[in-house]
Amino acid sequence: MLEIKGLRVVRGQGPQSHAVRLDALQLRAGEVWAVTGESGCGKSTLLEAIGLLLKPERLDCYLLGSEQHDVARLLAGEQHAALAALRSRELGFVLQSGGLLPFLSVRDNILLPRRLLGLDAHSHAVEKAVAALSLTPLLDKLPQALSIGERQRVACVRAIAHEPRVLLADEPTAALDPHNAQRLFELLLELVAELGLSALLVSHDWALVERFGLPRLGAINGQGETRFEPLV
Amino acid sequence: MNPWYKRLALLVRLSLADLWHDRNVSLCMAASLVAVIAPLLLLFGLKHGVVSQLQQELLSDPRNLEVKMLSSGHYDQAWLQRLQQRPEVGFAIGQTRSLNTQADLLGERGRFVDNVEVIPTAANDPLLASEFSALQADQLILSERAAQRLEAKVGDSVRLRVSRRLNEVNERGERTLRVQAIVAAVRFARPAAFVSPELLLDLEHYRDGYLVPALGAGSGQSLEAVGVGYARARIYARDIDSVAPLEQWLNQQRIETSSRLAEIDSVKAINHVLGLIFGVIAGAALIGCIASLVGAFLANIDRKRRDLAVLRLLGFTSSAVAVYVVLQALLLSLTGFVGGLACYYLGSLLFDQLLGSSQATGAFICHITVWHGLVALLLALLVAGLVALIGAVRAIRIQPAESLREL
Repeated sequence: MLEIKGLRVVRGQGPQSHAVRLDALQLRAGEVWAVTGESGCGKSTLLEAIGLLLKPERLDCYLLGSEQHDVARLLAGEQHAALAALRSRELGFVLQSGGLLPFLSVRDNILLPRRLLGLDAHSHAVEKAVAALSLTPLLDKLPQALSIGERQRVACVRAIAHEPRVLLADEPTAALDPHNAQRLFELLLELVAELGLSALLVSHDWALVERFGLPRLGAINGQGETRFEPLV
Repeated sequence: MNPWYKRLALLVRLSLADLWHDRNVSLCMAASLVAVIAPLLLLFGLKHGVVSQLQQELLSDPRNLEVKMLSSGHYDQAWLQRLQQRPEVGFAIGQTRSLNTQADLLGERGRFVDNVEVIPTAANDPLLASEFSALQADQLILSERAAQRLEAKVGDSVRLRVSRRLNEVNERGERTLRVQAIVAAVRFARPAAFVSPELLLDLEHYRDGYLVPALGAGSGQSLEAVGVGYARARIYARDIDSVAPLEQWLNQQRIETSSRLAEIDSVKAINHVLGLIFGVIAGAALIGCIASLVGAFLANIDRKRRDLAVLRLLGFTSSAVAVYVVLQALLLSLTGFVGGLACYYLGSLLFDQLLGSSQATGAFICHITVWHGLVALLLALLVAGLVALIGAVRAIRIQPAESLREL
């Protein structure tokens, strides 16, 4: 589903620059990994690089999706349009604050990725996810009428609406109270298992990650560089 | 990927949803456009209405187009033809010496008018503005005054009589003519008979002592050696703008003329002054409008930066986001234009109602044509589109990664 080797991203310039390194990562279908680390260590930077939003300084190998698209080659060729198309097709993002468009109803927010790709508006997976996250009564409301927890649930459904292969979530529970955070985590994991996706969840809530027994990519801080390695 | 028109339709739907959701701010921006467009349309409507009304008044009176030759001379047929073929000339016809442009008219039951003006006419004569002005030699058109005195109606016969003294003998030439039409007193106030140019020349030749069988004359010199000549011409310019060059052309030939150039010039001056005033006000309004739009659009984009970044993250290209921004500007300016047009309509109704009936101002008209409206719409869209492009340049730089970070 996703295979990365020898990734190094640099943020900033000169003495303030900070590098983020990921030597190897392989995600198979149905696998969920957590990315943990202190605030500011570069978790988001790593997610942006994996999410094709940031050009890495070095990348030995990056294969994405069931068709094993060679991302490294596209990045080297600066093929931005192809990268953007790949991103919108194969990746789903859950943002820290939901990132729902305030002017669209919950239903339209969820369907927007499908409409953009020209997919059929009716999707079994979406209907199932909406029911599982008990969003059915909220479908015609605007995001501003929803609680933060509800918004994050909508964001989760939107992230999988176009049936991507890989789900990238950036601290999806950060704004939630512990009870709601745990509930969302549960639902997110169910959704991923149900659809057979791979997922990468950035979280600083270690307790939560441990409770669900997720394999972890941990941050190891070095001089001007953070290395992410699987922790056993 | 979707075909382009589906993506555009999606963008339009998103733009509309965004504008509607944000309707308070949208309304403010549209209202600021209305505030510029409505007064400009009203001002332009007034300028156009007043000037076109003045011009219409000028045109409705053919005397405003006339260039009068003040003195008599001798002009041959070639000169007249040259005159008629000049681009500035709308209508020109040769006239005889003024002594010979009078005759007596005799109607039925002993009715008669003596010393009626006899005026030549031909097709397209602006003085008559009548379809009957292309006369045969045995037809005439009467002015209302002459017709009243003769109690003549259209279709009646009227006898035209001239007298001369030839070889110590008083003679009378006469010809029976059919009344083709009667000209209203508004167009020509004095008693007059309009005839074909040939008949007028016949009258002159008869008076000059030639043999003119058409008038029943059996004596006099033969006309064979006599060339056609005119003492002056009745000349009308093609339009208001042709009066001055036409007069100049005549003056160059040492022909003294008079015309209503002063009135024409004053209308032109009013047009020029109003145009200048309108231009300056429109320019000032436009600058203010552009400045306020630039500010509003840029602030709007900064406000919506996160949403735009999310759109980028979901897979909208940067050009799609730019189109999104420009679309919103165009939709706003369309709304503003419709509002401005409605305000203009109400304002012009008010003008016409309150000022139109007043005696002092005459018929007061505030008026724009459909073309003016379309040009104004295009201008509004152009300005909004250009201003939005500045915003679009900023929107293009928004990176999808920005949506991942808290701003």
